[in-house]
This record gives sequence, structure tokens and C-alpha cells, in this order.
Amino acid sequence: MTDQHVRTHAIDVSSVLRDQKKTGEPNETCIKVENLNLFYAEKQALHNVNMEMPKKKVTAYIGPSGCGKSTLLRCINRMNDLVDKVTIEGKVLLDDENIYDKSVNVAALRRRVGMVFQKPNPFPKSIFENVTYGLRIQGINDKRVLEETVENALRGAALWDEVKDRLNDNALGLSGGQQQRLVIARAIAIEPEVLLLDEPASALDPISTLKIEELINELKEKYTIVIVTHNMQQAARVSDYTAFMYMGELIEMGTTSELFTNPQKKQTEDYITGRYG
Amino acid sequence: MSEINAPIKQPPATAKDRGSAANGMESKRPIKISSGEYHQRWRLIKDALARYGVVAGGLGVIVAIVLIFFYLLYVVYPLFISASAAPVSEYPVPEQALGNTLLLAIEEQNEVAARFTDSGQVVFFNASTGKTLLTQAVAIPEGAHITSFAQGSPVKEGAVIYGLSDGRAIIAKQQYKVTYPDNVRLITPSLKYPLGEQPLALDESGAALETIAVKVGADSTTIVAKTADKIRLINFKKEQALFSDEAALTRTDSVLDLPTAGIAEILIDKDESNLYLINNDGQLGYFDISDKSSPDLKQQLNVVAAGQKITSVTFLNGDLSLMIGDSSGLVSQWSMVRDKLNRPAMQKIRSFKVSDKAIIAINSEQRRKGFMTIDADGIVGIYHSTAEREMIKERVSDALPSTAILSPRANALLLQSAAGNMHFWQVDNKHPEVSIKSLWQKVWYESYPKPDYIWQSSSASNDFEPKYSLTPLVFGTLKAAFYAMLVAIPLALMGAIYTAYFMTPGMRVYVKPSIEIMGALPTVILGFLAGLWLAPFMEEHLTGIFALLMIVPVGVMLFAFAWQFLPKTIAENLPEGWDAALLIPVILLSGWLAFQVSVPLETYLFHGTLQDWLKAEMGIGYDQRNSLVVGVAMGFAVIPTIFSIAEDAIFSVPKHLTVGSLALGATPWQTMIRVVLLTASPGIFSAVMIGFGRAVGETMIVLMATGNTPVMDLSVFQGMRTLAANIAVEMPESEVDSTHYRILFLAALVLFMFTFVFNTLAEVIRQRLREKYSSL
Repeated sequence: MTDQHVRTHAIDVSSVLRDQKKTGEPNETCIKVENLNLFYAEKQALHNVNMEMPKKKVTAYIGPSGCGKSTLLRCINRMNDLVDKVTIEGKVLLDDENIYDKSVNVAALRRRVGMVFQKPNPFPKSIFENVTYGLRIQGINDKRVLEETVENALRGAALWDEVKDRLNDNALGLSGGQQQRLVIARAIAIEPEVLLLDEPASALDPISTLKIEELINELKEKYTIVIVTHNMQQAARVSDYTAFMYMGELIEMGTTSELFTNPQKKQTEDYITGRYG
Repeated sequence: MSEINAPIKQPPATAKDRGSAANGMESKRPIKISSGEYHQRWRLIKDALARYGVVAGGLGVIVAIVLIFFYLLYVVYPLFISASAAPVSEYPVPEQALGNTLLLAIEEQNEVAARFTDSGQVVFFNASTGKTLLTQAVAIPEGAHITSFAQGSPVKEGAVIYGLSDGRAIIAKQQYKVTYPDNVRLITPSLKYPLGEQPLALDESGAALETIAVKVGADSTTIVAKTADKIRLINFKKEQALFSDEAALTRTDSVLDLPTAGIAEILIDKDESNLYLINNDGQLGYFDISDKSSPDLKQQLNVVAAGQKITSVTFLNGDLSLMIGDSSGLVSQWSMVRDKLNRPAMQKIRSFKVSDKAIIAINSEQRRKGFMTIDADGIVGIYHSTAEREMIKERVSDALPSTAILSPRANALLLQSAAGNMHFWQVDNKHPEVSIKSLWQKVWYESYPKPDYIWQSSSASNDFEPKYSLTPLVFGTLKAAFYAMLVAIPLALMGAIYTAYFMTPGMRVYVKPSIEIMGALPTVILGFLAGLWLAPFMEEHLTGIFALLMIVPVGVMLFAFAWQFLPKTIAENLPEGWDAALLIPVILLSGWLAFQVSVPLETYLFHGTLQDWLKAEMGIGYDQRNSLVVGVAMGFAVIPTIFSIAEDAIFSVPKHLTVGSLALGATPWQTMIRVVLLTASPGIFSAVMIGFGRAVGETMIVLMATGNTPVMDLSVFQGMRTLAANIAVEMPESEVDSTHYRILFLAALVLFMFTFVFNTLAEVIRQRLREKYSSL
């Protein structure tokens, strides 16, 4: 955890957990999925998934459409709870705490696990209000704190120089790539521990995609990142670890270089060489 | 590519698909191309048809609305055009040799006019040509001559009285008999003597009658005559004998306690109960003569400014107001107004600066509150008193006018000039009653204690002053809409928020259509339920209603508090999202409780009924059909509209915004307040506006549940009359093309403009909001 990080306000409201783990070694596990099964009504979407995601690394989920990678991602901040008739069995441990425990406050969990979606989803508010949204819902209204956070978050999302003169403009006036970076800024403004990116660049043009990828490289300094991507080159470019999923099962997981150069399973090899997808 | 090429590679299949075997048999060569072309053309035709159809439909709607607007405007327009007058003919005074004109008269059809001369002759002549039709002499006894003359009333071919030099008087009455020989209208004038042809001896001493006034009623005739030293009041009462047709006249005599000096004019009102005497110094004396044997002087006052003289005076139609013209050219209207102690007193209610010269004559219209003035310059003006409007100002003759008369329908004017010519003019003055002031501002109506906004368009009597203030109607409309919105907005919006955002889809499927079906309920049913069931129920259980407003929320809160302590198994066994259904018994129970406690509560708090307490302690009256009833009933009618549109708006807020907010750690409530409502705000706004528009235009409910009293009272316990209900109530009984009819159309136009402007404004705001908050 860098010093700059500590200066911002959010340290005050962040969980005790993080402080305890602040000085963890590089490969410490951040998220652990244990025997996770997920059913949409009768249909099973995840089959007994077990995996560990290391702290401050980028883990990419790849796999063909409908393989359950987004579903798995959404289990980490319990967004699947919002889906009607969903049943989840198993555990997801965030810093050794099962987030599916009855006592867990979902809103507090989601504050620790930020998420960026496939389609940029800024709120129909000003850029400033978008970035400060996460703070305001926690009741932080101190103008100085908000301004500082906005600048830090926008700088963190590499958007500050483009929007610093029009913070009060409606966020919907930004380009798609800018909107996506704004959404990332909004997510990091509340200083989460984990950042979930659900195909964050799939709706963007190549130049914006590049910017997002550069940004991911910078963000992993501070955050544990899990990214779902359809694009294997992107996974290869940005991630440290890659998990390949197929039909709701985790087929293989390893360091990115290993998985792409020397896959252990035939399905993985078929997929990364383009047999299906 | 393969998909596109497929049909071309296999033309027979295409032909077969289209099922045209004959086509496939006849010509093989053009099949694939022609079928493609045919298909292409048919597609284009369908596309063009659809496009033109949609355009035609849209234009049709616009055209229909514009047509409605222009039709309303077309009917309303004549209200605002000014009056005009044009000469018809000019001729020498008929039978000039028979004496100077005392009075001109004209009958209903403007065909026959009459000239009463100072020699006791009556000349009937054709009003347009001046041709003499009949000359009749009033039987003046030998040795006597006419010393005074007065018209009883211009209305109904009124009677005139001749005061003679020997203290006697003769009452004569013109009569016009209409027959249709050979299908052509023929009007035959004649003279009648309602109290007999023999002169009536008014002053026994035989003193000359210097000034005289008469009112001839159906059963009673009152004469006031001034001699050199006395003012006498004589009343003849006709008493029908019980068993025969014969009628006996009972005479009552009395003398007024007032000096005779300077009395210039005497006026008796049509009820023969008020008497006004005007003297040369500008003083008005007012007597109550209800008891003919003892006239009672009620008031004496100056009615013109110091130094001015009364130059002309007459009753305005209905005999409730005196129009007094003075030497400065001012015409002031004096009416009987009751003061705080309920004592009648003459009060000036308005005045007209007609001219800089003296007013030499004032002549009232016979059906309306209009009057005609002639000033010393010879300028003729026609005015309307209620509307305070100058209709016509025109010089009719080059020579100074000596006397003039307006026809009974006020559509013609006959004027005799000092040069001995008659001028017959057409007057086009159909709607003088309407002015900005009479429609929208406070108007001081005759016999009202102060200026006020009043809508009272018709009455049983002809000489009634119509009160066309649209202000109470607009006020009533807004008031009804306001109370309806007060009930509807919170319920509909909260229902919409809950249904769209918190309710489980399974429950929503039932709730939404049920509420929307409420909107299909005919408003007439709501109206009569409100009028016949809800209004009496509320009157009886008013305390219960207010207790309901307090006890139900408290009950719900208590239940919510108790919920935490209930065993978890109850919550777990409930189908998800149906927990809200648990509130139904709570609401029913607390509602029942509210009505149970209302009676003891009422007795304890108000020592009787709440209505009596309100009346006695707060001075608030309670109408059974009041705004509360309308608010509930119309609120009920408006709820489905607002609910449905707002629910759609909230439900269609993109999921990715909600999810984005939740992913940032917001609670569902925070997400709803900060993101969902914000994004749905254009839709919610238009829901409220459309609901408001509906409430403003709603007719049946307000017609049946408001009591239709056009009062301007904000109190929730008072009724109102709305523009829409007013049109519904009065349109069937208004005469086509009358002022009343056109004003009802004006009310419709106001309603139309109101909703039009409101909806346009709402749409503009909605577009702005949508631009700002529409998502992606």
C-alpha cells in the first residue's frame, strides 16, 4: 500500500481487514473460491469451482460465451444476488472471510469489491457527482475531501487531464472510452480492495481499449484485479494469471505465460489456438 | 454471403414458396429476376404506404386539434368585436303639427314607432319610412291641459301618464297586435287605458300636477305626483271579487314628507316599493313605500359633485340602479346596497366619464344592463354597465338631438333632432356584457355589498344582471385538481416506486394490471359513488377520516417495529417479496380501529360533531359535497394514470445504472433515491402532468361530487364548480349564439388553452429533463 493511498480519506472508513493485511507478501491470496456451485433456477451455471486469486495481481477469466466467467466474477461481489431465482452453494473467501455468510453486509462488501461493467454506465449526473457517488452514499459530504478524492481517482483512472476543466458537465457527454475510465475512477474513488472488470473494453474502440489496458497495468499496483475478457490477446497483455473456463467449469488456471504457452489441458489448447470460441 | 446468395441459386424453391405455380409454369426466364423485383417493389410500396399512413394519421390528429381550436375561437370571437351602428333612414318628424314630442317609443320588431306629443296625441308611424299609420288622441277633459308627462316603464310597451292642469291624470298604454294576413306580418298599433278612460282625480284641490311618475303593475298601480305644495302618493290596488270577474280598485292616498321645491324627477321602481326623488341641486331622496299609506324617507344624499347638476336620470333595466347623468358629462350608477347592519342605502357602484358636456338624456336598454346617453354636443353613446364597456360613440344627427329611444331588442335607435328630422339607425351590439373586467376581475354587481367574483349566468327573471366571472370557475378547476393531486401523487408515485423497484416480478405481474384496470372504471360511477356514498359517509365519519390518516401510518410503523421481533421462521416461510402483503390486515385493522375510536374521540375532543366544532370554534363551514370528497374520488380516478406512466418510467431505468450503483456499495434505497428516481424523473414528471391534465379536464366526478357551487373558498370543506362541470351543466340550457352560449365556449377555450399550454410546457420541461438525465 503506497503512501499516497494512505493520505486519502477513505482509509478512515475502510475495513480493519485491509490494515491487517497491508503488508502482505506479493503472492498472498486475496480471494479464494471453494466448491462454488451456482444455479439459475434449475440450470447449473457453475460446477464446483475452486480457485485462488493472488493479491495485487491481475487474474483474467477467459472462455467461450456462456461459460460462466461473468457469473463467477459476479459471485465475488454478490451481484448474482440480484438475479431472480439464483441459488449459490459453496464459499467465496475474501481475506479469509466468507462473503456468503449470513452476517455479511452486502453493501459493505461491495464497497470493498468494486466492479466495472462491460458497457460504460455513468450516472446521468456530472463527472464530479459520478466520481463522488460512492462517497456520498457513505455520507461523506466534506467538499475538500470530495474534491481531493475526485482528483486522485480521475488521475488514477488516467482521465484527469481530459476532464479537469469540465467536472460539472454531464458525464453522458464523454466518449465511450472516457466514460469507461470515469466508471473506473468512480470505482477506485472508494478505495476498494478488489476491482472486478467485466469485459471492460469490449464496447470500446482500439485506442480506448489500449488506454484501459495501460490503466489496468497501473492499477494492479494498488488493487487486486479480476478481469473477464473475451479477447485472448488482451488477457495475455494485461493479466498475471489466467483462468480458462468452459461450460461452467474451471478447466485450468495458471500464470498467464504458462497457460498461453504451455496449456495443460486439451480444451485450453483448443480454445487458445482458436478451435472454438 | 451464403445466405444472401441462396435464393438466387435456387429460384424454383422461391417460386414454390410464394405458392404461385402458374407463374412458375408460364415463363422460366424472368422468374428469378421478376420475383426479386416484384418482391422489392412490393416492399417499397408497403414501406411507402406505412410511411404515408403514419404521416396522414399524425397530420390528421394535428388538423383535428387545430380545427377544434379554431371552431372554439370562431364561436368566441363575436364576444370581443365592438358594436356598430349604421343609419337606415331619415325623414321629417311625422305629423309635426300635432305637437312637440314628449316621448318616442318603438315596438319589438322595429316596425312601428310611436310619438307621444305634448298635445295629448299619439302618432304611430312606420319606423323606417316615417309614414303615419294611426293617430290617436288621449281624451283630455275640456278646460284642462297637460302639465306633466311620464313613462311608467319602457319595458313591455309600457304605460305613460299625463298629469293635467286640473289635478287629474290619465294613464294610457300602447299596444301592438301582431297578425299574419296572407302570411305577412302585420302590426296594428292601438292605445289602451288600463285604469279606465276617465281621468283619475289625484289632487282633490285641483292643483296642476307639475311632475308625475307612474308604475303600472298587474294588480297595483302607483302614482306619485307633485303639485306646487305637495307630493302625493296614490296607489290603486285591484282586488278581484271572489265569485265574479269584476274587479274593484282600492285607493290609498298619502303625502310625502318632503319639500316640493326643486323636485325635478320622480322614479318608482317596478316593485312599487322604492321611490326616488331628484331635485335640481343634485340631491336624491329615497323613500321606502312598501306601505303605501306611510311612505318612509330612508335616505337623502348628494349624488353629484358639488357645483354640478343632475341633468338626466333613469333606472337601469330591472329598476335596481339609477343612472344619474350630470352637467359634467359623468354618468354614475347608484344602487341599493345593504350595509353591515343590513340597512338598505344608495351607494355609487361605478361611473362612466361619457363626455365633457352635460348629459342631456339617458335611455336604458330593455333587456340588458346597457344604456344610451346623449350629451350636449349631440354625441350618442351606448354603454354596458356591468362590463363597464363603451360600445358605440357616434354622432347620429348634425342638429342637436331632442329625444331618442333604443328599441326593445337594442338593435335599433330612433332619434329626433332639433331640426325636425327623425333618424332611424340599426345597432349591432350583440354581446356588450363581456369585457376583460367582467370575465376576470372583481365586479360590483347591483345590490351586492362589494365588488366580487361571481358566476351566475341565468335566473328566472328577464331583467337579471348576468354575472359572468370566469375566475371562480378557474379557481374551482385548480382547486379540484389540487386536492385530487394531493391524494393521487403520493399514493400513485409511492405505489409506482414500490411496484417497479422493490416488488418481486411475480407480484408485479398482478399488481400493475389491477391498478391500470382501475383507470378503466367509468368516471360516472366514481362520481355517483362519491356523491351518494362517500360524501354522506364522510360527513358522518369526519373524525374517523382524520383518525384514519393518523392511526394507519402509526399502525404500519408499529407493525414494522414488531416485525424485527417476530420469529424468523415467519419471514422465511413467506414467498419472497410477498411480505408487503402482511400489511393488508394491518391497514384494515387500523382503519377499522380509526372508525371505532372516532365517536368517543369526537365526543371527548369536540363535545359533539367535528363539523359543529369547526363551525363554532373556527368559523369553518362544512359542505357535504366538498373538496375532500372530490380529492378522494378524483384522486382515485387519476391514480391509475400517474401510477402507470411513472411505474413504466421507473421500471425502464436501465439495469446497468442500478447495478452500477449497487456495485458501488449503495443500498437499494440509496440507489432508488439517487439514481433511479433521477433517471426516471422525466417520465415521473410527465406522469404527474398528465394526471394533472386529466384532473383539470375531468367532468363527471366534479359534476356529481362538488355541489357545483361557484364559490372562491380555499377551504377543504367547501365545494367548487369547475370549468368542465360548468360547461356540462349549462350548455344544454343556454340559447344558441347568446352571450351565455359564447361564454361557455370561451370557458371551453380557456380549458383547452389551459391544458394545451400546460401540456406543452410539461413536454418542454420533460424534453429538457430527458436530455439531461436520459441514460445512454
